[in-house]
Amino acid sequence: MDIIRFIFWRLLQSVPVLLGVSIITFILMAATPGDPIRLLVGDRATPELIATVRDRYGLDDPILSQYFTYLKNLLVGDLGASLRYRVPVSQLIAQHYPVTLFLVLYTIVLTLPPVVLLSVWSARRQNGIADQLIRILGIFGLAVPVFWLALLLARFFGVTLGWLPVSGFGETFGEHILHLFLPALSTTIWVVPILVRTLRSALLDEISSDYVVTGLSKGLGERQVFRTHVFPNSILPTLNLFAVIVAYLLGGSVIVETVYAVPGMGKLMVDSILARDYFVVQGATLVFALTTIIVMLTVDLLSALIDPRVTP
Amino acid sequence: MKFTAFTIATVVLAMSGTVASAQDTIRIASPNKVTVLDPIVSAAAGNIEAYGQLYARLLRRDADGMLQPGLAESYEMSEDGLTYTFELREAKFSDGTTITAEDAAFSLNRVSKDENSAYPAGFAPVKEFVAIDEDTLQLTLEHPSAPMLSNLEIFNAGIVSKDDVTERGENAFAEKPVSSGPYMVKEWKPNDRLLLTANPHYWRAGLPKIKNVELIEVSDDNARATMLMAGEIDVNRGVPWAQIDEVNESQGATVNLEPSTVLYVVLPNHTKPPFDNLAVRRAAAMALNREAMTKAVTLGHANVANSTLSNALTYYDKNVSPPSYDPAAARKLLDDEGLVGTEITMMITPSAEQVATLLKAQWDAVGFKTTVERVDAGLWWSKLADADYQVTTSWYYNETEDPDLAVRWALCGACGSNSYYTRYNNEEVNKLTDEALRETDEEKRAELYRRIQEISVEELSQIPLYYSPFSNGYSNRVKGLKLTPALQWTLEEAELTDG
Repeated sequence: MDIIRFIFWRLLQSVPVLLGVSIITFILMAATPGDPIRLLVGDRATPELIATVRDRYGLDDPILSQYFTYLKNLLVGDLGASLRYRVPVSQLIAQHYPVTLFLVLYTIVLTLPPVVLLSVWSARRQNGIADQLIRILGIFGLAVPVFWLALLLARFFGVTLGWLPVSGFGETFGEHILHLFLPALSTTIWVVPILVRTLRSALLDEISSDYVVTGLSKGLGERQVFRTHVFPNSILPTLNLFAVIVAYLLGGSVIVETVYAVPGMGKLMVDSILARDYFVVQGATLVFALTTIIVMLTVDLLSALIDPRVTP
Repeated sequence: MKFTAFTIATVVLAMSGTVASAQDTIRIASPNKVTVLDPIVSAAAGNIEAYGQLYARLLRRDADGMLQPGLAESYEMSEDGLTYTFELREAKFSDGTTITAEDAAFSLNRVSKDENSAYPAGFAPVKEFVAIDEDTLQLTLEHPSAPMLSNLEIFNAGIVSKDDVTERGENAFAEKPVSSGPYMVKEWKPNDRLLLTANPHYWRAGLPKIKNVELIEVSDDNARATMLMAGEIDVNRGVPWAQIDEVNESQGATVNLEPSTVLYVVLPNHTKPPFDNLAVRRAAAMALNREAMTKAVTLGHANVANSTLSNALTYYDKNVSPPSYDPAAARKLLDDEGLVGTEITMMITPSAEQVATLLKAQWDAVGFKTTVERVDAGLWWSKLADADYQVTTSWYYNETEDPDLAVRWALCGACGSNSYYTRYNNEEVNKLTDEALRETDEEKRAELYRRIQEISVEELSQIPLYYSPFSNGYSNRVKGLKLTPALQWTLEEAELTDG
């Protein structure tokens, strides 16, 4: 019951957050110079046509009035329509969001096993050869720019070896797995080192803490202590960092989506900003914000589940 | 356990190789977006490329670029050049209904008169299109127009179904139209791809030969190059000069340099100092080693431009020429005017970065102090249209081989676009533009356009840089496909082979 109340409160708290996000995005977009209509009708349009179309979309109205119209529509679940494509923003989001979500989940699936394995291995043999190697590789992983790595992987696995597709999303679940493998891998290579570093140092902290030493001195098995005490206690800080990274991946997906021509939210967002497609940018930002809120909420619930001292 | 199953599934799928593409689908990746399928509401490149596949026109161009009968089987022109009568052939829309003169009149009146028409310039002399009977269409003009027939072939003159537009409404039509061209819409995923399939009722029997077309939008040049080399697309629209060799060296794909009317230019703002001063424009032109620039930027794939008109247009004059490279004279000119050290701001979009670097270096060498202002395309167009810039660089193309539209767009100060927004305004050029449109005598027209080029080059309405071909990459499976100078893919006659 407590948990349900907690979820309810957290979701209620997200309302002002989303409102704030919508106001800030609206103001920023309105303050960005550049004419969406020119981009819409093409290079050759006359100034008269541009004025007519701008008027039709209500872009001449005062900014406050535009915002309230937007907000009013938002309250009835209408995100508006794309200026460029003349289709509902919700349709565009429904088309692009699952792709990015799939990519992010895929990245998580690829990320977690190596993070746990490498951190544990590294921590249990601190300063050993394996530990040193993992740390050096970690620095490489962090230092290599994602777009460059993505480009290299695409050329090597896609063109030279011809093993994996280098673009798109595919039609079926199997195709999604194939098409998004390289994009997910490119991101994984960058995320794993960050999480390994955090988890490794948390594990080392715990291993050397008093209660572990006491437990071991009283004859508890090393494996058991590690499994039941050290590991669960170390996971919390990593989990929080992980939540931040997931939120970042959502927004940062644009890099791999560009290099691998994946039709996801990152691409939609950037293209819409460049085209000043106001309502799409608004809608996409709200979806990003909402996703971040949900990820954070999930992590808080998970933390409570792992450590009873953390009350939701 | 779940994870193991997942991994195995991945491996099995990976072992089965990359997804095989159906032989009957051609995949074309372009950086240009398809944003709307109504042929009159946009003149953006991606849309132009798609319109040609969806809508047939009264006339069409053959492989040699010559005008041929299209939906109009034949046509007649009255002696005074004011009335055209077209006899339509028996043809159907993609939904099986007959294409009538009523549809043609509706479509063409829409392009020329509708307030939403994004590019009515070619149809300005039109008084009216009227359906005389089921198959006969009559066009009356306010005054004679030499390029009228050419203009009836350009991208926005496609014939749409009157019933479709009026009954379903413009928005529904713009999303999934009934088509009259070789292809019809199968599915449109905005901001991603447009899937087309052959129109079974297309009037040219047996065409198109390729059943399905995917127009995929991929903005990143590297991604498109990788996709072509990996065999995931069949056509790469716009291979950057620096990647041509790489694509050619790869197996299975080749870059073709195709004739275009594209002209790269420096656009000075004629209403703002310092470029409102002819001496400054001359100095800026003389400072440029345009041969070296062209070679450096396009790696020798383009030709240096000498005129304010593309060399692919009729009446192009190869004898005009802007002042040649002479940095010492340029500096002297600035010195005489007391303008050494003049600060100029060059507005550019990211695609012009390389050209801008070279321009800046050469201008600074003769005594300008150039600052580069980087903006995105949205801001660029706004500032350009508002004349809120000093100098910028860009390109444009022309839809037909007739120079009327190009001159109207880039050189005429009274024709709506303020000479490509440079605000160059020469009364004589404006007058000659109008005269040349109405003049039907070939020789006299040639003389008029020669004079326009002479004046505009002399006054440096723009500084021409280079004539650029299209560089498109094609998989070796593709036969008979090219992009015409009018930005139209010749898809209906193209074929896919085994390579």
